[in-house]
Amino acid sequence: MSAASHEPAIRLRDVEKRYAIGSGEVHALRGLDLEVARGEYVSVMGPSGSGKSTLLEILGCLSRPSAGRYWLNGVAVDGVDADGLAKLRGEAIGFVFQAFNLLPRMTLLENVALPLLYRGVPRAVRHERALGALARVSLEHRAAHRPGETSGGERQRAAIARALVNRPSLLLADEPTGNLDSAHGREILALLEGIHGDGATVVIVTHDPSIGARTPRRIAIRDGKIESDQRGAASGPEGRAQRGGAERSEES
Amino acid sequence: MSALESLREALRLLRAQPLRSLLTLFGLVWGTAAVIFLLSWGTGLSTMLDTAFQRAGKNLVQTWPGRISEDFSPAVDRRWLWYTPADVTALRQRVRESDLVAGETRTHAPVAFRGRALSLEVRGVEPDGETIRGVPLASGRLVSHEDVEHRRRVLVIGQRARERLLGAEGRVGSWVRLDGTPFQVVGVLARVGTQLSRDGAEIDDQAWIPLSVHLALFPNPYLDEQMLNTILAHAKDRKRIDAAESEMRRVLAERLGVRADDEEAVPIFSPVQMLKRIPIDQQNGLNLIIAITTLLVGGIGILAMMLDSVQERRAEIGVRLALGARRRDVLLQFLWEGVAIVAIGGALGVAFGAGGALFLASDVFRGRIPPALRDLVPIPELSGAMVLLAVLAMGVVAIAAGVAPAWSAARIDPAETLRVD
Repeated sequence: MSAASHEPAIRLRDVEKRYAIGSGEVHALRGLDLEVARGEYVSVMGPSGSGKSTLLEILGCLSRPSAGRYWLNGVAVDGVDADGLAKLRGEAIGFVFQAFNLLPRMTLLENVALPLLYRGVPRAVRHERALGALARVSLEHRAAHRPGETSGGERQRAAIARALVNRPSLLLADEPTGNLDSAHGREILALLEGIHGDGATVVIVTHDPSIGARTPRRIAIRDGKIESDQRGAASGPEGRAQRGGAERSEES
Repeated sequence: MSALESLREALRLLRAQPLRSLLTLFGLVWGTAAVIFLLSWGTGLSTMLDTAFQRAGKNLVQTWPGRISEDFSPAVDRRWLWYTPADVTALRQRVRESDLVAGETRTHAPVAFRGRALSLEVRGVEPDGETIRGVPLASGRLVSHEDVEHRRRVLVIGQRARERLLGAEGRVGSWVRLDGTPFQVVGVLARVGTQLSRDGAEIDDQAWIPLSVHLALFPNPYLDEQMLNTILAHAKDRKRIDAAESEMRRVLAERLGVRADDEEAVPIFSPVQMLKRIPIDQQNGLNLIIAITTLLVGGIGILAMMLDSVQERRAEIGVRLALGARRRDVLLQFLWEGVAIVAIGGALGVAFGAGGALFLASDVFRGRIPPALRDLVPIPELSGAMVLLAVLAMGVVAIAAGVAPAWSAARIDPAETLRVD
């Protein structure tokens, strides 16, 4: 964040990611270039195994590329040590997962306050800010409940509140509506759009074309490479990002 | 994240899983308490045995008349041997490992006091013998050199014999009749207690008179010689009782004209040697093994909890890492969980173990043991070292068990831990 503000939020150069699985190797990303400007709202789509989740993990500093370089807000991530990455994850990035990944033994409030804990924010302030974040997703009345006592939609909203609580510049969402019905999914998408409206860069990974259709920029990924990168309104039958898939237009 | 926050987080997580925490805690408390209790009980048992075996006399080496064991002679022809006061004198002069030697005679005789009569074990004693027995006085005095020299008819009585014979009205100065002869009671011995090693009646049931008087009153009916029933010696050094024994055996064998290796001709016994034959060290070793096993079981409980919690919480570790936790934060959290539960369990375990040991050692409990058994129930002996050992052992196990798996989980990419589910 100390870098100049004209730097893009995300810049990937020739990024590769390989995993050793048993005796073989999986080549999840094969030389991927990507630039995302600040404040952009991007969806990344692709079939399973295309490498889109791996891409998101690298963007979120959850793993490092095997080759290539990654600049986050102009900072080269490969020069940052493990603690530095933890700091980046905690302060610059917010995550929303498909499985929500709330900690089951904590109340929603405690879950939301967790990133603040690792940032060293005092207890009283943590409490206040976590409540504020919960209010933003209209869940302040559920603050003292544990995730098991809430619905899927509420859990994902709480997860979004958790992602927001540190006011990250980059919000990464991995299939955020994958475990929800369409009504709750729309609710979540509306929240994400609101966050984007507040100026954050938002990247959503999904295989659902109807979500992709709502974002101003759509990246399709296949076999570890970017297949297409489209900008502008894409709703309607023009959606070329969909390869052979049924044209589902559930949106209003 | 500060250490305090980390500790608070760990405590919160322990509270969030009360059953698992309780079970682990139980293992810990039980392990620590058992170690402390068993070890203090074992130490108390050693002391109890040592005391009970040495009530007949500290560092006592004792010999009785034997008989020659020549394989070729028929048993009836074996020659009986006996000791005389001259043997005592010889031992006094020649046995260097011993500083006190005394002869003793014994017989059973009726003793009467104001119409009450009892058959008591009456011993003829010398002052050296009394010193070897080492029994403190409840009142009065012991048999003295002058008593022996002047053949005074004085009597020192054991505690239980006093209760039974003299009752409430008898005291030092009272006169009793021993086999018809009047004796004045000059001393009452303090209570000795249960003797695990004894030669005849317990000291509490004996009456002592001067050796010279005993020899005159109960002469050897067959021989014109003064016969002793036993010779007592005090070894200077507990560790050199063997040496004292063999020295005595050599002197006596020479005087009796028997082979020095004939143990039947010169039977020598010492309670300390007897004590060595009791597998008390093995018993304590066994206790230690049980204690360590118990500790291990407690440790495995913690290990199970921690392993389980790491496996179950791999995803949690991933989430925490994704939310900005450093590896150190995650490790510290697991460390604190281990430390917190060890601290609580250790404290409770020490409280229960030491509390149990202290209770068994307390007057409240001792008072409830029947007097006849009291001397044989060990008084547990606590030591700071064993408490420390128990707590340290548990602490190391718990911390190792807690941190090692968390270490491995926190080392890999957070993405991998997140992908598990």
